[in-house]
Amino acid sequence: MKTRREFLRELIVSVGGVSALAACGDAPVVVATATGEPGRFHTPEEMELVSRLSELIIPRTETPGALDVNVPGYIDGLMADWASEETRAAHRRALTEISSRLSANGDFLALDETGAEAALAELDRSAFEEAADELGGYRTFKGYVTRSYFATEGGAREELQWVGVPGRWDPNVVVSDRQGV
Amino acid sequence: MAEATEFDAIVVGSGMSGGMSAKELCERGLRVLVLERGPEVVPERDYTDQLAPWETKNFDNVSQDEVERHYFRQYPGVPYALKESNKDFWVKDDEHDYVEAEGTRYEWLRGYHTAGRSIMWSRQTYRLGPQDFEENLREGVAIDWPVRYEDIAPWYEKVETFVGIAGSEEGLSQLPDSVFQPAFELTEAEKAFKRGVEAAFPGRNVIPARVAHLTDATEEQRSLGRSNCQLRNRCHHGCVFRAYFSSLNATLPAAERTGNLTMVHNAIVQSLEYDPESNRVSGVRVVDAETNETRTYTSRIVFLNASAIASAMILLQSQSESFPTGLANRSDQVGRNLMDHVSGAGAAGIMRGFDDRKVFGRRPGGIYIPRYANVTENDKPYSRGFGYQGGASPLGHANGQIPGIGREFKESHRRPGPWRVSIGAFGEQLPNPDNRVTLHPTRRDRWGNPLAVFEVRYSRNEEIMLEEARTDAIAMLEAAGCEQIVSAPVNLTNPGNRIHEMGSARMGRDPAESVLNGWCQAHDVPNLFMTDGAFMTSAACQNPSLTYMAFSARAANYAADLLGEGVL
Repeated sequence: MKTRREFLRELIVSVGGVSALAACGDAPVVVATATGEPGRFHTPEEMELVSRLSELIIPRTETPGALDVNVPGYIDGLMADWASEETRAAHRRALTEISSRLSANGDFLALDETGAEAALAELDRSAFEEAADELGGYRTFKGYVTRSYFATEGGAREELQWVGVPGRWDPNVVVSDRQGV
Repeated sequence: MAEATEFDAIVVGSGMSGGMSAKELCERGLRVLVLERGPEVVPERDYTDQLAPWETKNFDNVSQDEVERHYFRQYPGVPYALKESNKDFWVKDDEHDYVEAEGTRYEWLRGYHTAGRSIMWSRQTYRLGPQDFEENLREGVAIDWPVRYEDIAPWYEKVETFVGIAGSEEGLSQLPDSVFQPAFELTEAEKAFKRGVEAAFPGRNVIPARVAHLTDATEEQRSLGRSNCQLRNRCHHGCVFRAYFSSLNATLPAAERTGNLTMVHNAIVQSLEYDPESNRVSGVRVVDAETNETRTYTSRIVFLNASAIASAMILLQSQSESFPTGLANRSDQVGRNLMDHVSGAGAAGIMRGFDDRKVFGRRPGGIYIPRYANVTENDKPYSRGFGYQGGASPLGHANGQIPGIGREFKESHRRPGPWRVSIGAFGEQLPNPDNRVTLHPTRRDRWGNPLAVFEVRYSRNEEIMLEEARTDAIAMLEAAGCEQIVSAPVNLTNPGNRIHEMGSARMGRDPAESVLNGWCQAHDVPNLFMTDGAFMTSAACQNPSLTYMAFSARAANYAADLLGEGVL
């Protein structure tokens, strides 16, 4: 099994965002590749931060984590293909702010798992406790991670039990059923 | 072989009402030409409802630059419906410009293609009630409708049987029951909300939304390749199951199988030619959207179903010595009384006690609160009324905007979280002749047709009504036991935003003050019919597509009768 660093490195160099055709029709799909291409939007340093944050926010459990479904690659694709200049600039500022806060006491990316989780958990608490706008960028980033994860096949099907064609309506499902949505 | 140019009937527009006009005329044995200004949509090729979220570019979000460049008017009104994979269903604003009079706004949301906006609609389907045809007269507003509910009721029934509507029988006089297929059952939180509201406010009702989705497809519907709704919530992308009603899913195939339908795409109607000797429309002049070539089609009758705005513009563009201000416009009412529904008031709150419940499936509609103002409650500081659309669903953990990271954060998304009830008002806009669409004197589109100029303002009645709707919404949520109730200050939607434009060629008894008679037939030109939203003498507050279709079916059969009798 790859180490986290190896996995990250592959991701960092692999988010060329080359379009491919979906099996279903001619819909263009943003996919990450393993061809050694750099991120189309993020710098390698930014990509490493995006990847580490994504992994900590949505880790691999019994179901795929953010890295398993290439959330960093999708965020890179969104910034390259979907975002306006204004959104890109805001995203870049957010990454800078997040990095600055997380590395106040040393290189965040060099922290071990426990240290990284603690640092991000503290930032996350602040982001949702403070009314201050300065952490709005983090909240937006967390939104990108979450939306991207649950829009991927792994996140939707395996974690969320999303069903493409429900075929029926049940307005009253007991949660413990672990039934799809 | 040369393309045929002579028909029994020409229908301009293939959308909600045009499809129904064409079906009825074809089934009466008439040779019908449908002119559609946009390109052909082929479901097998152009529907994108089968794509999963991960199979779409940018998770189906239109890029922000593209919205700014092409959809700056369309997108703000329908961000829930205009997506990367279906964006071609919506017109590009930079290619289909229009003008707003100084100090006014108008959102003209459109789809130019086979079946028009019937592909992209939100499928809420309600009859008008008896009061809706009587209030103009009772209040001395505008003019009286020349028909009453009883006149149109049989046609509602006919159309509903064909369309397929999921709903529940409620026996409400102001919102008569349709011919229903089984409703989508309310969620437990909605049932609790219903109990709370109906106990606190006798005369108010919370009912399942009535939607044009098949839940028990009939043999006729199955014969058209339609089947039951699969609860996917992919409707704005088309539906390969043909489970929701659209012209393309239902009426146009029904017309086609008669063998009497001819459909021509990319045919933009520029004007109707008029023969003063016979007092008839003698031809329909079109310009080809792709080649700019012009040609003329002829028929014994013409149905305008291009939308209330476009149909009025066609009449205004059809000037002649006999009709210097536009065909069938001796009343000077063409383009006037333009109405929409008005929203921008509502409230939401948390319903406790359902955190261990969630739903399976993604239904097409939630709850509806039929109009009660000036029906069951007559103490209002405004006239007419509104209905609420809404629903109760698990709040979930939308977009990650909750604290936490790691396993707990990830797995919290499996839980529904608290349930949230939200309701928003759809109010009636009163007719006003100063609210109108006219032709720009100099500016033309790429085909040489004048640009539309909109001048529409809400009246004080709509403003007061929506303020009251907000107050009522909060009161109902409180009565139902909701917590953390939120309600933004009233902010009226721009005219056009509800995509229910109507009234631009109103029907009435007196040719001096109305364009159409009670059969949607032009007073001034007997072989001209208009059955899109143009005929509406008042707007009511219900979503209007069903009414357009019922009047289309009625007018089509009336016109066929007149043809059979040799009157036309």
